[in-house]
Amino acid sequence: MRLFEFEAKAFFGSNGIPIPRGKVVETPNEAREVVESLRKPVMLKAQVLAGMRGKAGGIKLAHNHVEAEELSKKLLGTDICGCKVTKLLVEEYLDVDRELYLSVTFDSSKGKPVVIASPEGGIEIEEIAFKSPEKLIHTYVDAFTGLELSGAQEIIKKMGLTGDLLLKVSQTLWTLYKVFEKYDAVIAEINPLIITKNQEVSAAGAVLNLDDDALYRHPEVAVKPEERIEDPIELKAWKLGIPYVRLDGDIGTIGSGAGLAIATVDLVKYYGGRAANFLDTGGRITQEHLENALEIVTMNPNVRAVLINMYGGINPIVEGAQGIVKFIREKKLRIPVVVKVRGNFEDEAWKILEEAGVDVVKATQTELAAQRIVQLAQMEEKR
Amino acid sequence: MTILVNENTRAIIQGITGRIGSVQTRLMLNYGTRVVAGVTPGKGGQTVEGVPVYNTVKEALREHSADSSIIFVPATFAKDAAFEAINAGLKLLVIITEHIPVHDTMKIKAMAERHGVTVLGPNTPGIISPGKTKLGIMPGNLYMPGQVGITARSATLSYEIAGNLTEAGIGQTTCLGIGGDMVTGVTFIDVLKLFEADQDTKAIVMVGEIGRTVEEEAAEFIKEHVSKPVVAFIGGRHAPLGKRMGHAGAIIEHGRGTAETKVAALREAGVEVIECPMEVVSAIRDVFKRGSA
Repeated sequence: MRLFEFEAKAFFGSNGIPIPRGKVVETPNEAREVVESLRKPVMLKAQVLAGMRGKAGGIKLAHNHVEAEELSKKLLGTDICGCKVTKLLVEEYLDVDRELYLSVTFDSSKGKPVVIASPEGGIEIEEIAFKSPEKLIHTYVDAFTGLELSGAQEIIKKMGLTGDLLLKVSQTLWTLYKVFEKYDAVIAEINPLIITKNQEVSAAGAVLNLDDDALYRHPEVAVKPEERIEDPIELKAWKLGIPYVRLDGDIGTIGSGAGLAIATVDLVKYYGGRAANFLDTGGRITQEHLENALEIVTMNPNVRAVLINMYGGINPIVEGAQGIVKFIREKKLRIPVVVKVRGNFEDEAWKILEEAGVDVVKATQTELAAQRIVQLAQMEEKR
Repeated sequence: MTILVNENTRAIIQGITGRIGSVQTRLMLNYGTRVVAGVTPGKGGQTVEGVPVYNTVKEALREHSADSSIIFVPATFAKDAAFEAINAGLKLLVIITEHIPVHDTMKIKAMAERHGVTVLGPNTPGIISPGKTKLGIMPGNLYMPGQVGITARSATLSYEIAGNLTEAGIGQTTCLGIGGDMVTGVTFIDVLKLFEADQDTKAIVMVGEIGRTVEEEAAEFIKEHVSKPVVAFIGGRHAPLGKRMGHAGAIIEHGRGTAETKVAALREAGVEVIECPMEVVSAIRDVFKRGSA
């Protein structure tokens, strides 16, 4: 789950990472009030869940309360990187001496936490990573022992910092690692970490993405999915715990496993059709789960036909077949549905589907099912 | 020969009394797997499909000898179940459970490395040596004994590849899933090493997908260390890119992780990359034809 910048900063701040003074606001009036109480120039930062926000005009400098009110009027309600701006973070402007980069994430190949630190931070960090990778210091961490303060110091020393600054930045990195562990983060990032002209450190940019699979053990994190997911179908799917991505085609797809679901989308395209979505049931098929999956897929008004691709490995495909039949009957679904199903208890699943008049593909090859659904969707289009 | 398991492999099942664990136990027994015991805390003394159930792995191992465990325990308790199996001395873990928090998986991996334990998964279908044994959830009817080794990230996509080969009369030595999660125990390189060393495996099929960089790393490894022909399928060639937050992921992936980079890296390493799963049949036939010519 992606947190908004202001949420990430609240977690960073409450754990001891220095953050700029500021407040999140929803109206230009509130923005003016923040400036009046800070008595300083401020940065206005659109709270959207997208990268490259600064380059898209989502960050503005306001020298006084009048400017803050005017600029807030312009920013609120606009679209930044495809996300509607409803909240602004109003923060004190800092006199920058230099900008650093610190992050903790995991390396999926090594299966370990990794700290990345760079003496040059800011919005060009990815370019720096490509052009001068030697500037980025990668340090792998044992998931058991974590990062000790002395380990953090060794990393920061490599960045060329000394004295008081070495201690402050090391402390910040050490705390960042604690935050990464404590909240089951997949990314905890400070970019930039600002060193001010007074040699104070401040996490001016913050990213904290949490592991969806671990949210259950973090009741302190308010999930509020409606604030994070704009598409109503994706929102419903998220609430039901079903991985779903809306696409721009007209063939609904359901796969019993992420790889199979992805390959199903690919094969629909390969045979000249376009998938309306990606949906993965995972190993959780029940009658109800399949009904929910079909409901989500058919919520998209562009859907002209649905292809369901299931294997009976861990999944009870007989229950899945019952769910499909129940949904088609109860909702009086009129669009064509093709079900390709194989695996344990396949005979029983085929029988249930065929007796209900559902178009069944008994072959292993998803290619055959994809060709069939593309034909059916094209026939629907001509109607 | 097979890799990692054979007809003598003796397995326990953790989470044997659950809805899925009990059905899968029956399917494994029917396939011929030597399931010697099951473990579910608080259910010791029961039996599932004739298999005795114990409260702990250690109790089970006092009564039975075993070398591996298949874990169906719910995600919340999966890390502890894995630690228990490792501490009890088992050397192969097959973690079927999905949705284990990634921090837990990293700890399982670190613990397994310390104890020299091989971990398949999490979120793996397991491992099958057709006609001999299966430690996992794959439908046995899609497999037959033969000379092709299969390794995959996605469970169901590996069934599709195996099913295609079996229907065409092309059997397999061993098929195993490394797991569909972002962090897994073994990765493709580990499996390629084993298949390269296995005399009976004459060709390897690798089934990858978008995300992670294990395919790119496998390509580097194949160039230097794999003499056997490799055929690959990559899922997700038409998948849209997700919105990305933060730069750390991009820095780690370093421009890799897309279908294009995977396909390019594999082709450069001499791997035959197929466009559709069913092309695996003609690709393997070509490989065998070339081999016998």
